[in-house]
Amino acid sequence: MSVIFLLIAASTVVAGVFLAAFIHAVRHGQYDDDRSPAVRMLHDPAPPSNENTVDR
Amino acid sequence: MSVRELTTLTCYHCGDACAEDHRVHDDKDFCCHGCEVVYDLLNESGLCDYYALEAKPGVKQRSSVDEQRTELFDLLEVRDRIVEFSEAGITRVRFHVPQMHCSSCIWLLENLHRIEPAILRSRVSFTQKEVAITFREERFPLAQLVKLMRRIGYGPQLTAAKEQVHKGVPHMVYIRLGVAGFIFGNTMMFSFPEYLGSNTEAGLRTGFQWLTVLFSLPVVFFLSTEFFRSAWAGIRSRTVNIDQPIALGIVALWTRSLWEVITGIGPGYFDSLAGLLFFLLIGRWYQAYTYRALRFDRALEDFLPLVVIRRTAEGEVAAKVSDLVPGDRIIIRDQELVPVDAVLRDGVGHIDNSFITGEPLTTRKEVGGTIKAGGRQRGAVIELEVLRSFADSRLKKLWAEQASLQDRPTMPRLIDQVARRFTIAVLLIALGAALYWWGKDSAQVWPVVTAVLIVACPCALALSMPFAYGHTIRLMGKKGLFLRDAEVVERMAHVDTVVFDKTGTLTAREAHEVVWMGASLSTEEKSMVRSLARNSTHPLSAVLYSELKEPLLSVLDVDDHAGEGVFGLVNGVAVRLGAASFSGGVEQPRANGAAHVHLAIGGVWRGYFMVRKRARTGIAQAVARLRTRLRVALLTGDAQVDAELTDAFHGTQVRTGCSPLDKTQAIVQEQQAGHRVLMVGDGLNDAGALAQSDVGITVTETTAALTPASDAILDAQAVLLLPTFLLQARRARRIVLASLAISLCYNLVGVSFAVSGHLTPLFAAVLMPLSSVSVVAFVTVAVTLAARSKH
Repeated sequence: MSVIFLLIAASTVVAGVFLAAFIHAVRHGQYDDDRSPAVRMLHDPAPPSNENTVDR
Repeated sequence: MSVRELTTLTCYHCGDACAEDHRVHDDKDFCCHGCEVVYDLLNESGLCDYYALEAKPGVKQRSSVDEQRTELFDLLEVRDRIVEFSEAGITRVRFHVPQMHCSSCIWLLENLHRIEPAILRSRVSFTQKEVAITFREERFPLAQLVKLMRRIGYGPQLTAAKEQVHKGVPHMVYIRLGVAGFIFGNTMMFSFPEYLGSNTEAGLRTGFQWLTVLFSLPVVFFLSTEFFRSAWAGIRSRTVNIDQPIALGIVALWTRSLWEVITGIGPGYFDSLAGLLFFLLIGRWYQAYTYRALRFDRALEDFLPLVVIRRTAEGEVAAKVSDLVPGDRIIIRDQELVPVDAVLRDGVGHIDNSFITGEPLTTRKEVGGTIKAGGRQRGAVIELEVLRSFADSRLKKLWAEQASLQDRPTMPRLIDQVARRFTIAVLLIALGAALYWWGKDSAQVWPVVTAVLIVACPCALALSMPFAYGHTIRLMGKKGLFLRDAEVVERMAHVDTVVFDKTGTLTAREAHEVVWMGASLSTEEKSMVRSLARNSTHPLSAVLYSELKEPLLSVLDVDDHAGEGVFGLVNGVAVRLGAASFSGGVEQPRANGAAHVHLAIGGVWRGYFMVRKRARTGIAQAVARLRTRLRVALLTGDAQVDAELTDAFHGTQVRTGCSPLDKTQAIVQEQQAGHRVLMVGDGLNDAGALAQSDVGITVTETTAALTPASDAILDAQAVLLLPTFLLQARRARRIVLASLAISLCYNLVGVSFAVSGHLTPLFAAVLMPLSSVSVVAFVTVAVTLAARSKH
C-alpha cells in the first residue's frame, strides 16, 4: 500500500503545476477583462491585403 | 429635401430618430452630417462589418470634430499619463474611452489599423473601457490619433485628477481563491480514509493526517490574514464585526485539529477549515466582482478642461487652467467649458449652465457680461478675460462646501448589528457549555468549547449579504441604476422620504412643450416658421426648429436682431419671429415660467408659441406610485413649477427658488424630523443636498456625463423605474433577513451537536459547505425572482 504515497506525491505535484499555471495566468491579466476576449473570437479576421501593414 | 415619413426612420449609424437633419446617403438614412461622415470613413476603409455585428452601434457626433482642440495632448504631463512606452518612434498609449458599449465598438477599435496604416495594433479592455494603441508616432502624431478617434466617435477622455480607475478585481483575490480551492480539494482527498471508516492501515492514516496539517499552514497564514486583520481592527476600535466570530472559528478549528493530530486522538477538521476559507473567499471575490467597474469619487478638476487657449502678445498658446491669473485672455470655442470666472470681451456668449443648475436653455451674454466657471459655450468662438483664478472661482467654492458636509447621520449596518448579538450569544453558549462539562467531565471542556466555536462560525451569515446585495446591484445596473456599494442597497431599503430636484431630473434636458396660441397655421406657414427658426442662434429658435416637423423652405435676407427676434423672407413672404414688440403683437401674461415667441407673417401678427420645459413622460404615474408608500417632496431653484408637476406633487412639500444651500438645509430638516431621505438630483447645485441625504442619486443623460459625487448614478431613461428600484431594495433586505434566519438554523443544529459532544469531523465537513451553498442558492434565486415580479 505504500505505493500510494508515491501516487499522492505525484498527484500533488500535478495539482501544484496547475495551481502555478493559474497564478501565472492571474498575474498576467487573464482575468482582468472577461468581456472583450469572448467577443473578439467571434470577429472575422481582416482581409490579408490590409493586414500586411502590421508586421512591416 | 424629400418629404418622406421622417419620424419612423432611424439613423443607420447611431440609431437616433432622423428628425432635424435627415440625410439619405448610399441608400441609408442618417440623422446628421457627423454620422454620415463616420459611415463614409468606415466604408472607405472596408470596415462596414461594424454595422453588421450589432445594429446601429455608432456614437452620435455632438459637434464638429475639427473645431475641438488637441493641443492638450502635446502637453508633457498629459503625455506622461497616457503613454505607456515610447521608443524608436513607436509609441503605445492607453486611452480611457467610456463611449464603448457593444461588440461593434470592440471590433472597430481593434481594427483602427485598417483606417490608418501608422497604427500597428490596438487592443480593447472592455471591463476597464480602455484601449491600448501602438502606433508609429513619427509618421502619425499623437494629436492626429486623438483626432481620428474623435472623428469615429470614440474620443478619449482625459481627466485632470490622478487616474484612479479600479483595475478590475485585484489579482490577489483570484490567487487566494485558487489556492483555497486547491487546498480544499486536496485536503478532502486526504481525509477520504477517515470518511470511509477504520479499515485502512494506521501508517497511511497518520501520513495523510500530517499531510493535511502541512496543507493547513497556508490556509491560516496566507488565506485567513484579511479576516484576522479586520477582526483585530474591530477589537482595537472596540466594535464587534462579522469577521471576529469568523477569525475565532478559524483559530479554534486549527488549534483543535492540530491538537487532535499531535495527540493522536483523531484526524481533526482540516477539511472543514479549508472548505470554510474557500467559501468565504468566494464571497469576497463576488463582492469585488460586483463593484469592479464603478468609479464614483471624482474631484472637481475631473470635470473641467485641463488646458485652455490663452491669447498673448505672441499669439494663441495652450495654457494650463491652474496657471491662469486674473487679466489673462482666453479663447473658448463651441461646446467648451469655461473653467474660471471670467468677463466676456469678444463675441456673443450662449452659455449653457446645465452642469451647475440642470437648466438646459442657454442664457445669452453680451460683451462685458460675467460668465461663471462651469458654463458651457454653445455657439461661435468667444474671448474672455479671466476674473478670478481657478482656485478662487465660485465653482471651486461650491464644491468645497459640498465636500465639507460630511456629518450625515450614519446608519448601523445590518450585518454589524447581527454580528454583535451573534458573537455575544456564541461566547455565552461556549461559556455555558464549559461550566456544564466542568462539573461533569472536565476532560470534555476543551473539546466542547472548541466544537461550539467551530460550528458557530458564521460562514453562511457572511456570505448571504454580499451575494444578496451584490446580485441586487447587478440587476439594478442592467436597468440603469448604478450603486456605489452594497451598503447603499440597505440604506435605500430604509428610505421613507424621496426628494426630487426639478430641472434635469423630472424635466428632460432637451424635451420642450410647444403650444401654438392663435388661429391655426397651415402646413406651409409652419414650414416657414421652422425654416426661419433654423437661421437663428437663439435657444428658443432651436426648440421651435426641432419641435416642428414640417419640411424646410429656403430663406432669404435673414436678419437676426440679438435679443429681439429674427426676420427673413421665406418664399418671398416677410416673416418675423421673436418678442411681442418685434413681431407687432401684444405682451401676454406668462404662466409657469413659459417663454413666448410671437409670429408675424406678411406684417400681420398671427399669435405666439408658448414654449416650456416638459416633464418626462410618465413621471406623474411614477410619483403617484412612490406616494402610495413614501413621502415625496420637490425642491427647485426655479421660481415656479409647471402645472403637470404641481398636480403630481399636490399636497406635498414643494419649495421653489432654492439655492444650493437651501436644498441642503431642507434635507437636514427632514432628517432632524427623523426621516430617512433619498435625494434625486442632477446638477452641481444639488451636490450638497445629494451628499447630505441618506441616499443621493444623480440623474445623468449619458453614462459618460459629468456628475457630482453621489451614492448612485441613475440613467435618465430609468427615472420612472425609481419606485421599482426602491421596492427591489426593500425586498433584498427582507431576503437577507430570511437568509440570516436560515443560516442561524444551521448554527443552532451544529451547536446542539457540539454542546452535547457529538460533533464528528465528517458531520462538520458536511454541515459547513451545505449551509454555505444552500444560503447562497436561496439568496440568488430569491433576489432574481423578486426582481421579476412587479408588485
